[in-house]
Amino acid sequence: MQNAKDTFYVSLRDRLSAVNPARTMVLRGVTRPGVLVEENELASAYQPVDAFCLRWTGSRVDMRGALPLVAMHCEIRYGSDGNAGNGGMDRGRLLAAMDAELVAAVGAAPQSAAKMSYAGATPVALGTRVFWGDVAFGAATVNGERLERVATVEVFCYQEAGEL
Amino acid sequence: MSGSGLVGAVAPVTRRVRAYFAPVDRVVGVPAVFDPAQMGTFALDTPPAPWVDLGWCSAFARKSLTEVGALRTGAPAVAQSQIRTEVEATVSLEFESWGKLQIALTAGSQQMNLLVTANGAAANGSGGAAAAPIPLIAGSTATSLTVGAAAASQFSVGDLVVVDVDYAGQVGFVGSGVSAAYVSSATTVGNDVNYVRRVSLNVGRVVAIADGSLQLGGALLAGVPATGMQVSRLAGFVDREGGGFFQEWSGLFVMDGEQGDRMLYFYPRLQAMQGAAESLEALAGPLERVKLAGVFRALPVKDANDGETVLCFRSYLPGAMRAV
Repeated sequence: MQNAKDTFYVSLRDRLSAVNPARTMVLRGVTRPGVLVEENELASAYQPVDAFCLRWTGSRVDMRGALPLVAMHCEIRYGSDGNAGNGGMDRGRLLAAMDAELVAAVGAAPQSAAKMSYAGATPVALGTRVFWGDVAFGAATVNGERLERVATVEVFCYQEAGEL
Repeated sequence: MSGSGLVGAVAPVTRRVRAYFAPVDRVVGVPAVFDPAQMGTFALDTPPAPWVDLGWCSAFARKSLTEVGALRTGAPAVAQSQIRTEVEATVSLEFESWGKLQIALTAGSQQMNLLVTANGAAANGSGGAAAAPIPLIAGSTATSLTVGAAAASQFSVGDLVVVDVDYAGQVGFVGSGVSAAYVSSATTVGNDVNYVRRVSLNVGRVVAIADGSLQLGGALLAGVPATGMQVSRLAGFVDREGGGFFQEWSGLFVMDGEQGDRMLYFYPRLQAMQGAAESLEALAGPLERVKLAGVFRALPVKDANDGETVLCFRSYLPGAMRAV
């Protein structure tokens, strides 16, 4: 399952970066595309703004086929305070822009990617593909001066023989 | 992945169905042929000729109505063997887009163009007498209609147009590119010079006008206009419940699997088996999306490999390195 999670993250990161190369963040002193996986970073109460934060929540396994079919629930959290120069009055527009970027990245064909193992120094292609559904948007919530949203995507993969 | 490099053959997972159209030559009764061995892996956005993209469809359902009976002998009767007593199949679907082709295929009968009427034309349910058509001059292509500067000024960007021959007493199937209707006699169509253009599927949208030519947004189904064809403007399309014509087409439906596999369903001959119908999909509040709903009966062809009479072909192209 970890390979599928990594594959989805890398696919989404690359697609989001292609849609809006200007959306970057500085994390631990490094400038990188504005998307991260929460469980891969230092535990922190801080959630970056104007960036996408992936959180893996539930999963289930269907054992009926030739290979176990795994369905994983991915939450994508993001928010914006708006630009200070605009007094934050553009926070709705900035959140809508992030909505659109997410739609473009998740919905672009193909909604699948060859499953990769990133465990070693060099990524290794596995035998199946990771695939996912359309993005579903939760309601925008107001948190102080910040406008936030949680979107969800169902990600699917086959657990290959010998894969942990 | 096993030590052999093979991956288990899982059931295909797919998300939607892409539909394609090809005309059937009604005059000689020859449908289009799709060879999955040669063409099966085509890119969905660029189908091989003569197939035309109909876009995505939903609620795709195939139904086999073939009946198998038992041959019994003895007393008491014991089934000794089986026979097919009836071979029949249907396919139903909902088109996600409303184009001329999709409307025509689901209309159940001939589907007509609402030709812009002549001044003072009497009102009629499928459109009144049409305005005079504009002749094409040399140099037209499948995407560019050369009419001359003076005639071009009568058109505007955004106009819908139909391009086809004049009706001159033809009897039988009419319509360029696709047989669009059947004329039993000249009197039934009132000897209307515009009748072929009224039913033709050879339509397009003007997206630019320059140098006496109308640039179309897509290629005409019939390709480069033939000598004698004329162009008429139209307001839209109309179909009717009733009518004596059955539109027939070759259908191809493709489901791409998420593991690189592909299912293809090729129906050489399909005819609508219901009148024009829609299905409504609730969006929110009073809003509903209206989809074209079609149900088609498959008609037979003979497979050249063994002479068997068949209605449809289902092909499966497994993903790379999948066990079979």
